[in-house]
Amino acid sequence: MSYPVLVRGLTKTFYDESRGEIRAVDGIDFECGEGEIFGLLGANGAGKTTTLRMLSTILTPTSGSAAILNHDVVRDPEGVRKHLGFYSAGTALYPRLTARETIEFFARINQYPSSRVPERVRYLVDRFGISKYADVRVEKLSTGMKQKVSLARTVAHDPPIIIFDEPTVGLDVLNALEAQQTIKELRDEGKTIIFSTHIMSEAERLCDRIAIIHGGRILDCDTLAGLREKTGKHYLEDIFVQYAGRPAE
Amino acid sequence: MNWKDIRVLYVREVVSAMRERTIVTNSILIPLLLYPLLIWLMYTGFSFVSGQNEELTSRVMLKNLPAFHDALRSTIQSEGSIVIVAAADPAADIRTGSLDALIEFVPVNDGASTLENNFRARITYDESRDRSDQARGRLIESVSKYRQDFIERQALRFGVSGAELQGFLLESENVSSGRQMGQFVLGLLIPILLIVMLSVGGFYPAIDSTAGERENSTWETIMSTATSRSNVMMAKYLYVATMSFVAGLLNLVAMIFSMSSLLGPLTRPGMPNFTFRIPMESVPVIVAGAAFLSLFIAAGMMILASFARTYKEGQSMIAPFHIALMLPVLFLQGPGIQFTPGLAMIPVLNVVVMIREAIQGVYRWPLIGITLAVELLCILGALRVATMVLRHEDFVMGTYSGSFGRFARERLLGRKP
Repeated sequence: MSYPVLVRGLTKTFYDESRGEIRAVDGIDFECGEGEIFGLLGANGAGKTTTLRMLSTILTPTSGSAAILNHDVVRDPEGVRKHLGFYSAGTALYPRLTARETIEFFARINQYPSSRVPERVRYLVDRFGISKYADVRVEKLSTGMKQKVSLARTVAHDPPIIIFDEPTVGLDVLNALEAQQTIKELRDEGKTIIFSTHIMSEAERLCDRIAIIHGGRILDCDTLAGLREKTGKHYLEDIFVQYAGRPAE
Repeated sequence: MNWKDIRVLYVREVVSAMRERTIVTNSILIPLLLYPLLIWLMYTGFSFVSGQNEELTSRVMLKNLPAFHDALRSTIQSEGSIVIVAAADPAADIRTGSLDALIEFVPVNDGASTLENNFRARITYDESRDRSDQARGRLIESVSKYRQDFIERQALRFGVSGAELQGFLLESENVSSGRQMGQFVLGLLIPILLIVMLSVGGFYPAIDSTAGERENSTWETIMSTATSRSNVMMAKYLYVATMSFVAGLLNLVAMIFSMSSLLGPLTRPGMPNFTFRIPMESVPVIVAGAAFLSLFIAAGMMILASFARTYKEGQSMIAPFHIALMLPVLFLQGPGIQFTPGLAMIPVLNVVVMIREAIQGVYRWPLIGITLAVELLCILGALRVATMVLRHEDFVMGTYSGSFGRFARERLLGRKP
């Protein structure tokens, strides 16, 4: 079976002057199906962001492999990025562009067909409800408005696979719920979504399957029901503690 | 390289830059408005200073004025700006500032004088005080006028002209036309100002497109787009070079239109009628020099600024490069420096001397060729270094904490920290 996202033995080590070699991601395997929200659930420093950065080709794996729609992250990074939308707390917007210019820029640079860019921009402005401030510079927008523009720029080129790395960090409850709703809608449109969070309720509400990552390793990967059955716990928080509390083998 | 992507990225950089006040001020407004502003400041300053000076009267004392020359007193007094006063100890009064100058008349008693009533006038003043120095100037003007009339009268008595009476006269003639003199002055000024502006023009864009991206957290955003990193860096590089070049070019245009007004009043009476005009045939050489230099400056500044994580760090990392560009230009480009093959091998300075010669109407094409080739090599060298730096992931991610110097030692030269 061919998976849109396929990860095998993915490893990343860094060298730190004071701590020496750090194995941030330690030989992880997973795959995501079409139209699935796949959750990476882990505490801070578990290796979620490093994994997602390798998938988005920002970082190069030390070993192992990962492919997005059969484009290898090492051999064909541009092919990977063309089919990928990447959203994280570290991916801010250009403050001096307007919302409309931002969406247009990201559509063009992510290889969306030039002739269809104006139409795509109009669609996204309407879809994300940003028409009132579409021509206002990003630096003048509120956090919630920037969030919508960020989501719009992530999907500007209509990618089949979208990575959300802790997308609700720093948002108030209403904006966080709105972001979650958008992610669900994108899944319903058939997008494959990889979603990382350390907020258990988010993972419970959104993810079709959840991988519990700790110390750079995936400790288990299953549906919420499957994890409940394996651990005998109901709440994801308890399930997580049961796994992460165990020392990594 | 994908030039379509580079164009999209480049346009984004330029649009952003045109909305940033610091960049617009430094890369466009200052180069364009610096000279009109200087002209205004200079004329205002001159008017103020001359107005202040004209209001001050000079207090002078005449000592031992021969009776025969009493008309000199009238000549001095006729100057409304001079008041003749008496002092018991004029030297002390000049030192304390209560007297501005003393003019003392000493008879010429060398036995060879054929003129009756000849005298020597000696002025005592304090050059450290403006008012005293000004009094000296006014006295010299009055006495010279009187002296000229006196010589003419004496010459008439002897039946000769005033010039003949003075005997051995030393005269000099400048064969340079006013246009050539103007070009000589411009040749000294323009290259320095051009390089200053090229550097100032590239300074903030270099920081904005590298450290600025990290500070705004847009670096990771742009690195996750479906274009290669080399396209991203090439667009940034071309943007910085453009801003640097535009600053230099606008400055050149401003200089072409304002140099006559700016430098004209500085010429003294008796000097040839200077024409401060840049010859049009020198413009291609100036533009070529500016273009190569802006590409070199952009490469150097971007490599250094890329190691910064904030605007402030960027400024402190680029500043030494900015100064390093200026120092040889300020100290080594005096009028005596000749454009030789050896000098044509020295980056930056070679462009300065090349432009200077072009403005003065001298075009030594082999040396111009060497200069442009050397600059091209510097540009390629800088881009090669940039490519090597870009291969390092921690640099691209902005997690490397150190300067270019440390990076070069540890990673490019392979020396242990």
